[in-house]
Amino acid sequence: MIIETATVLSTERAYEGTYITWFQGPGLSTNVEPGQFVMVHCSDEGVDPLFARAFSYHRVEKDRFALLYQVVGKGSGWLAQRQHGDLVRMYGPLGNGLRLPERPGNLLLIGGGVGIAPMVDMAERAVAAGHQVVAMMGARSAAHLLPASAWPREVEYVTVTEDGSAGPKGFVTQHLGKYQEWASKIYACGPNPMFIALADALRWNGRRQQPEILMEENMPCGWGMCYGCAIFTKHGVRLCCKDGPRFNLFDVF
Amino acid sequence: MPPSLQIDLAPTHKTGLLVANPVMPASGTFSWGIEFAKQWGVNALGAVVSKGITMESRQGNRQPRVAQTPSGMLNSIGLQNIGIDKVITEMAPLWEKWDVPVIANIAADTVDEFGEMARMLDGVPGIAALELNISCPNVDSGGLEIGQNIDASARATRAAVRNTDLPVIVKLTPNVTDPVKLAVACEEAGAAAICAINTVLGMAIDIRARQPVLPRARGGLSGPAIKPIALRIVYDVANAVHVPVIGCGGIATGEDAIEFLMAGASAVQVGTATFANPRAPLDILDGMCAWMEANRVDDIRELIGAARPQRG
Ligand SMILES: Cc1cc2nc3c(=O)[nH]c(=O)nc-3n(C[C@H](O)[C@H](O)[C@H](O)COP(=O)(O)OP(=O)(O)OC[C@H]3O[C@@H](n4cnc5c(N)ncnc54)[C@H](O)[C@@H]3O)c2cc1C
Ligand SMILES: Cc1cc2nc3c(=O)[nH]c(=O)nc-3n(C[C@H](O)[C@H](O)[C@H](O)COP(=O)(O)O)c2cc1C
Ligand code: FES
Repeated sequence: MIIETATVLSTERAYEGTYITWFQGPGLSTNVEPGQFVMVHCSDEGVDPLFARAFSYHRVEKDRFALLYQVVGKGSGWLAQRQHGDLVRMYGPLGNGLRLPERPGNLLLIGGGVGIAPMVDMAERAVAAGHQVVAMMGARSAAHLLPASAWPREVEYVTVTEDGSAGPKGFVTQHLGKYQEWASKIYACGPNPMFIALADALRWNGRRQQPEILMEENMPCGWGMCYGCAIFTKHGVRLCCKDGPRFNLFDVF
Repeated sequence: MPPSLQIDLAPTHKTGLLVANPVMPASGTFSWGIEFAKQWGVNALGAVVSKGITMESRQGNRQPRVAQTPSGMLNSIGLQNIGIDKVITEMAPLWEKWDVPVIANIAADTVDEFGEMARMLDGVPGIAALELNISCPNVDSGGLEIGQNIDASARATRAAVRNTDLPVIVKLTPNVTDPVKLAVACEEAGAAAICAINTVLGMAIDIRARQPVLPRARGGLSGPAIKPIALRIVYDVANAVHVPVIGCGGIATGEDAIEFLMAGASAVQVGTATFANPRAPLDILDGMCAWMEANRVDDIRELIGAARPQRG
């Protein structure tokens, strides 16, 4: 873990209610695994919010990295207002990232809503390592989708919307279709109901792909000090920040 | 010359509890110290205080376990821990290698169990003192049930003191009308030092769900929000007891620590601040030293109780 004050390079709206901020921060951009996260102090004085907010690395490039985040409250709202040249204190990288298979395979990356954030970094690395990649994003409507331009050209991008305004209608876990058979490994990030549905959808085929998931809990500290972020797994209680956020889907659901 | 920071936190006890400086983490906000030791090292701290230890291992409470509040947080962790046996076999051997004393925070279910746990930890290499947690608001038995009752608090203290040669620190709850009476009773029962305070009972409500946020409704409030409460209790308790008082509650800067020393604390514990700033205990120590140097204070003992009405 490194504590660093990163410099904002840009903040742009990515899609409805969701922003992407690029930072320059050499320490925070080094030795990052896909799916790891950074704790960002989202206030001027460090008083309100008192604790840093957890965000997944969305993209990493040399000494720069991007966060993709939904504005849901004070901290994320503050972050969305940061502009070129602003300084933001944060610490990371934290947690255990996703693991790429050693041999090239067919990787299915699934993101529910802003859970898509870490999957872009994952896709970039997977493509570079010679894997075939399909990325699926589930969202409320067409306005809530990450644009196709966010992905490397080699990635096949499939979208599912709850209102059917872009791609099939419903939840992403209802439309795994042919990709489910195609995939040799599955990675997912999103809300817990999505994980429950994913576990139900995959259970019948012998759990072949052993999906790795990135989980979320309220995280005051982010590095194993407070025990606030407990996740109850089939093998006992774990800390999301320190033992996760990567878990095996079937260890939890 | 850098100021002298060394102090004995158990001068009435046969082994004493000498710390190189008065800054240590607060129980439950530092896990077992292993992460901090790996990340920044623990040897610059005055002492390390373990997470609350129970007789059997515990899973802790279900989610949500925390609610962030203005200038603080409510927690209902529920003493998730690996249990006393594993602490003895897995943690103490690691602690033994450190240069700093480690204080084991124990949370028993009953008065007698405090005695039993004290006996189990007696003589375990790597453990320098015990801190009795008779003040956890997030469990069904032990905790406040004991800590809000003067007689039970004194009996728990006596049970522990009789069963160990280690100095016994008693950690008080602020959730009583008169913490001074509690402190005096624990001192009379043999406490080598008093720690004040544990978290303040509070709650938060999710107005959309029309329900308390935390599953047990109540939780423990900590952080800068409780600093004035903690300071008042330290001031009152330090005036009434002869053993050292360890101040705790909302300390986030070197100046905060100085305030507690002036109120009569001989040392301070840093809790919630470490969640907001991973280096908090070290930064607070640095801030305290810088303040002392800037104000030409050579010895920490000059500050202890400086703001109290009658000194000495
Ligand atoms: C490991 C990890 C990685 C994350 N990565 C991302 C990411 O890449 N992009 C992104 O947009 N978000 C991410 N999150 C969620 C993000 O941390 C929260 O959205 C953020 O903390 C909200 O802070 P706030 O101050 O804006 O909202 P608050 O004012 O704290 O809360 C506003 C609302 O959001 C809810 N909320 C608060 N914290 C969380 C949380 N951790 N999860 C879900 N809901 C929450 C609250 O209950 C409340 O309803 C991640 C969380 C974790 C634990
Ligand atoms: C998440 C959390 C867990 C805690 N666990 C314990 C514990 O196991 N034993 C204990 O004596 N106090 C525990 N406490 C109380 C703290 O040690 C401390 O007394 C309190 O938080 C006030 O200090 P602060 O404002 O600096 O955090 C805990 C506090 C928090 C926030
Ligand atoms: S967020 Fe504090 S232990 Fe995980």
